[in-house]
Amino acid sequence: MPRSRAHILFVAPAIFLMIAILILPIIVAATLSFTDYSLGNDSFNWVAWKNYDRIVSRSSFQKMFTATLTYVLVVVPLAVGLGLGAALLINSVSRFGDVYKTIYFLPVMAALLAMAIVWEFTLHPSVGLINQTLARGCGTWLEWFAFFRQGCERTFPLWLGDRDYAIWTVSFIGVWQGFGFNMVLYLAGLTSIPRELYHAAEMDGAKSGWERFRLVTWPMLGPTTVFVVTITCIRSFQVFDTVEAFYPQGGGPSKSVYVMMFAIFEKGIQQNLIGLGSAITMIFLIFVLGLTLIQRWLVERRVHYS
Amino acid sequence: MAGIRLNKITKSFGDVSVLKGIDLDIRDGEFLTLVGPSGCGKSTLLRIIAGLEHQGGGDVHIEDRPVNGVRAAERNLAMVFQSYALYPHLTVAQNMAVPLRLRELGFFERFPLIGRMIAGAKHAEIARHIKETADVLQIGPLLDRKPGQLSGGQRQRAALGRAMVRKPVAFLMDEPLSNLDAALRVHMRAELAELHRDLGVTFIYVTHDQAEALTMSDRMAVMMGGEILQLAPPAKVYDDPKDLQVAQFIGSPKINALEAEAASDGTIHVSGATLTRRVDPAHAGRITVGLRPEHLQLVPEFGEGTISGNVVHRENLGSDLFLHVDIGSQRMVVRADPLAASTLRTGDTVHAIPLPGRAMAFGADGARLHLQEPVETRQAVVA
Repeated sequence: MPRSRAHILFVAPAIFLMIAILILPIIVAATLSFTDYSLGNDSFNWVAWKNYDRIVSRSSFQKMFTATLTYVLVVVPLAVGLGLGAALLINSVSRFGDVYKTIYFLPVMAALLAMAIVWEFTLHPSVGLINQTLARGCGTWLEWFAFFRQGCERTFPLWLGDRDYAIWTVSFIGVWQGFGFNMVLYLAGLTSIPRELYHAAEMDGAKSGWERFRLVTWPMLGPTTVFVVTITCIRSFQVFDTVEAFYPQGGGPSKSVYVMMFAIFEKGIQQNLIGLGSAITMIFLIFVLGLTLIQRWLVERRVHYS
Repeated sequence: MAGIRLNKITKSFGDVSVLKGIDLDIRDGEFLTLVGPSGCGKSTLLRIIAGLEHQGGGDVHIEDRPVNGVRAAERNLAMVFQSYALYPHLTVAQNMAVPLRLRELGFFERFPLIGRMIAGAKHAEIARHIKETADVLQIGPLLDRKPGQLSGGQRQRAALGRAMVRKPVAFLMDEPLSNLDAALRVHMRAELAELHRDLGVTFIYVTHDQAEALTMSDRMAVMMGGEILQLAPPAKVYDDPKDLQVAQFIGSPKINALEAEAASDGTIHVSGATLTRRVDPAHAGRITVGLRPEHLQLVPEFGEGTISGNVVHRENLGSDLFLHVDIGSQRMVVRADPLAASTLRTGDTVHAIPLPGRAMAFGADGARLHLQEPVETRQAVVA
């Protein structure tokens, strides 16, 4: 019997689309990362690892890694933890659950570029809501704290303009914006936990909320947690709009908020250094790919029930 | 040592009253089954005993101790759930260890490494208990597997094991066999009854399957509409039901409930036949006569006291043959010997006679009516 080739025809459209819109661009970017190509040029030169070498050795790119990793390491634990906490609290109240859900989810829905204006105003060094509120504490017992005493004597921090504060402020906004999304994912995860497991835990003698959480809730949320952590990681690596909104001139005070996405944008688009931009993109891709592989590994190994 | 006592337990969900004042005395070491159709409140009652649900009114006493305000974790009962409710991330052994760890070990003693260092003896004791229980249930080889890797029957045993490891006052079982296939269910029935005999602990077993109730229990409580209609040993419930609903619920195939007419002297006419025993003339009028399929006998000829009709369907179970007979306004099921009835086909006319002394009469409200031998009835009326 001749082997039918119909199966190839069946998968052909999907394979074609995958290659055309996913694989090919990656290959093109990988190739370009070894060149000095600029958009509009007719030709380009092969520069081998020079682009990568610049990324590893130049101080502005070292700042890029510092800023990106700081952002990820602050935002991921906080956004995941707060998301879980909010989901558990909302799940435990019998009334107003929907109100809280809406409030916490609002920052997710709001366009961050628009919200940046509000934050810029709130964080303004002299007329901003935050520093004005802090100034009210001057002259009271709060001055026992060194931070307050200095703030009252001189001035409270320039939240967005001080290189010691800028990345933390941007991270804070990232948490504020992101944890509502995680909360929704956790709420969905919580509803899928069978009620009978809690009853079994109660019969088995789990009296405190912590015991129930350890025995049932946290392990049963395992798959949700892996997903939430991965998605938050990737989103944190991708942070761009906050930085672009606050520091369109590039990277914030002393490039302390020079995150990866902004570097790609600045080099590849603004300065038309396509080769360099592609090299950063490849590094970014490797980070994300690594995260995804770790997630796959965790899902297969530890949290796969049924 | 006393068992579990329920006193006027009521429960409503919103406007719907699901338990209407349940009184129940469960003896120590007894296998008591709560049986009834879905929605009769049997599971709710079990959960109230367990403490997972609060009763609207009434008292629960366990071993003479009122437990109304006592939470489930402190009632020292064990429960086997319909879905087994095993912790999917833990192995069978870890699942079985949970009730012991939570009760016997302090907070720090449960820590992975430190726990073993500061309370090694306790951990060894727990491991020994698990081993013993696993041997009783023959699940030793399964101890290192996770619930996802077990078959339905094995999960069932693991859930039983988790309930058994600490010696509870009573086992509560909420339809534990309903997720198993038919053959395994029959097998587990015998095994559970044996386990109960060996352990000697009180079992409270909820089921909607009358066969489980009949085969395993010491006593069964037939529940309907939030009330216990009859509480008695299985044989008594089957042979002497107090209510038409009980008679209809217990027994397979169902009892034949035939419309009948009680004359003013108490004689009962049912589908052309007249019963020898009579009912109190006070109940004259429309009544229902209950005849179990095995209490009808096929006779070759139409005669006095026979009920006749056409065979519309035959069910051959091998050991028994059930004939569905159309007797005019309704249908009746007759049990026949498969050999004797082998020539009967659908459409044939058959005649059946009720075995003397076995018919049951139920009044218009469903309550059982007492039947008397004819002579005595007349004397009673005269007197």
